[in-house]
Amino acid sequence: MKVVTKLVPADRLQDSLQQWMMDPNHRIGVLTSIDGDQLAVLVLDLLHNSAEVWLSPIEDNHYKSLTLNIPQLHWFERVIWDMFGIVPDNHPRLNPVLLQEAYAPGLYPLRKAPLEASHKQTLEKDFHFLDVRGEGVWQLPVGPIHAGVIEPGHFRFSCMGEVIHNLEIKLGYVHRGVEKRLTEVPWKKAHFVAEAIAGDTTAANALAHAEAIESLCDVTIPARAATLRTIALEIERVAMHTIDVGGIANDIGMVSINASFSKFRGVALDLGDAISGSRFLRSFIIPGGVRGEPRMPVEQMLTNVRKLRKELNKLTDIFLDNPTAVDRCEKIGRLKPALAHEFGMVGVTARACGIKYDTRKHFRQGLYPELDVPIASHPTGDILSRTKVRIDEIFNSLNIIEKLLQELPEGPLSLQLPNQLAKDSVGVGIVEAFRGELIHLIFTDKTGAIQRYSIKDPSWNNWTAISIAIRDSLIADFPLCNKSLALSYSGNDL
Amino acid sequence: MLKILSYLLGQKLATVKDLCPPLRAEARGLPTITDRACIGSGCGSCVDVCPTAAITMLPGSDGKITLDLGACIGCSGCYEVCPSDTIAESKSTQVATRTREELVLSNDPALKVERKRGEKNVFSNSLHARVVSTGCSATDAEIGASGNPVFDVDRLGVHLVASPRYADALFVTGPVPKGMQSPVKDCFDAMPAPKVVVAVGSCAISGGVHRGGYAEANGITDLLPTSIFIPGCAPHPWMILHGILLAMGRDDLCVKENREPVYKNLPGKSVSPLLHAEPAGT
Repeated sequence: MKVVTKLVPADRLQDSLQQWMMDPNHRIGVLTSIDGDQLAVLVLDLLHNSAEVWLSPIEDNHYKSLTLNIPQLHWFERVIWDMFGIVPDNHPRLNPVLLQEAYAPGLYPLRKAPLEASHKQTLEKDFHFLDVRGEGVWQLPVGPIHAGVIEPGHFRFSCMGEVIHNLEIKLGYVHRGVEKRLTEVPWKKAHFVAEAIAGDTTAANALAHAEAIESLCDVTIPARAATLRTIALEIERVAMHTIDVGGIANDIGMVSINASFSKFRGVALDLGDAISGSRFLRSFIIPGGVRGEPRMPVEQMLTNVRKLRKELNKLTDIFLDNPTAVDRCEKIGRLKPALAHEFGMVGVTARACGIKYDTRKHFRQGLYPELDVPIASHPTGDILSRTKVRIDEIFNSLNIIEKLLQELPEGPLSLQLPNQLAKDSVGVGIVEAFRGELIHLIFTDKTGAIQRYSIKDPSWNNWTAISIAIRDSLIADFPLCNKSLALSYSGNDL
Repeated sequence: MLKILSYLLGQKLATVKDLCPPLRAEARGLPTITDRACIGSGCGSCVDVCPTAAITMLPGSDGKITLDLGACIGCSGCYEVCPSDTIAESKSTQVATRTREELVLSNDPALKVERKRGEKNVFSNSLHARVVSTGCSATDAEIGASGNPVFDVDRLGVHLVASPRYADALFVTGPVPKGMQSPVKDCFDAMPAPKVVVAVGSCAISGGVHRGGYAEANGITDLLPTSIFIPGCAPHPWMILHGILLAMGRDDLCVKENREPVYKNLPGKSVSPLLHAEPAGT
């Protein structure tokens, strides 16, 4: 996608952003920096399906925190502090997100020039949990290693009896330095790194990477490749939503239902095998097109898709028909639409609060936005609502896969890209991953090399949701609520 | 309740009886080195395409190469470009090894390492494992899948446990970046002896695409004594099962397999579908 770059003086950035956000069709996509000398904001216009980058040069590594007036930026400002050593003055809860105590103080991996020693000392990086006090208040630490087979993160609950009053989340355990690595490897091999960001979001990350690179090469890929990419993206959505619904069943105690969901997730992953040769769709979507032809006859794939839809239809009906399941999910883990909006939440979490935002309607990714996709949405914002959105999206995606397989156009699979990316430019890829709005933002320097590669996982918007949704609930509701929000640790930690 | 029961009774048996059969035709396998000679002194195209520098051309050796499956992320680039089938696709899922050296394949006879079979040990009848995830979670998903009704690792007496105190084995997935190095060591220390460490996936073995960065995500093998190495990114559930069986010394339960690689250049042999598949829909 082509983006316009504008210069906004740092002292006017807050006003400009607040004014921008007055329009309900406007969003803030990413707030970051390029090399530590400026703030860079990607703002999105959903009415005109366009985007702009605002650059604000800052001095002395300080600026007035934007969080107090625009709460959804609190996570972004913490990350900028982590990676660049830029201090947002008066940030209400300044704690590390990506770099925690394991890393040497004063390491700012994405800065152009190292900070001076005097400035470093002002940046104490210990994690301070919110101190909740009062008679009977106790703290429950959980993680980083959890009881199940999931990614690592630390949760600190402050409880009164069984009731949770505050939850604070400490992440960064799986920070692998992906953004830095993406500027180090030759850009034609960068897709291998981009798709290793989060294993369950391989196709979406690969697609966002490809779209961003292609926007820097100014090419449009062949129709057959775009169709296969779209199919891959939707297969990923079906597989991951299926196991997430299964996880809800599991956490309710319906282990046998989860076993069935797990089996059908396998069928969906095998569709990935059929189209790309990899169950997790690895090394398939590349800048310029896709790597290969489907590896199974289309007729056979269509049969498998229809069989899967029939089976999932039966299974989800039984699940949603079960009074125990509904009772356990209803009115629990509620998120108010106003808060979801204020914190800029995306994906299933937002759509389960009635916010009908789906990037497939607005930004180029595969065959979208020309290809019409229904938006699944439920208004109540609870666990049941999120589960219903997921189930609706599974069937929407299966329908899209079926339609596209039937209409698969002939033609080449990829085109040759130039050896050089556009100089001094910005490339953007925005993709609706199964968790929501995923953004890859690339800045090139005057030689055409990648100077800054910024990634915004949907979880950056949504991690706050769990703290809000679980407030005043029972500890026993946490696993279920956590599962229903399906947040990514590796996608967040980069 | 009755609805659920009748649904479950209506489901057919999903479990595959044979353990660790070859991958299906459409699935991409890991590369292997065949006995076919490189062209001349080696064209080097495999070295150029490899994203993790897993392939090395031995200097002055007339086309002798090494291929480190512990670094390989299974992108299939090498066997796609190899003009002489010196590197070819292997559909085998029995790829786990007991030593790091066995993962380094070579067509130089001096560098060939014999693969060790499993030996019966105290875990042969039952193995309880604690999984610690330190990466992108694709491997975690495949460990999860190995417990589903299709692969059903539980039938072997294997159980994934919630605490290191109950665990015999530590399964490590992901490249173990700095933030997880201390937690994973704490987890190992909390486990009662005897205990084994299993590196699941190429990231856990070598760091994969993350190796060498400031996050020191170079795998588990330098941090803890590792007994079993399961390559792949992410390893197929059958590969994970093979690694588990190897740890238990029960790899004799795996099906006998034909380890013939998939040659793409000989008439009459199977053809790599990635390069030559018929256009779909025709």
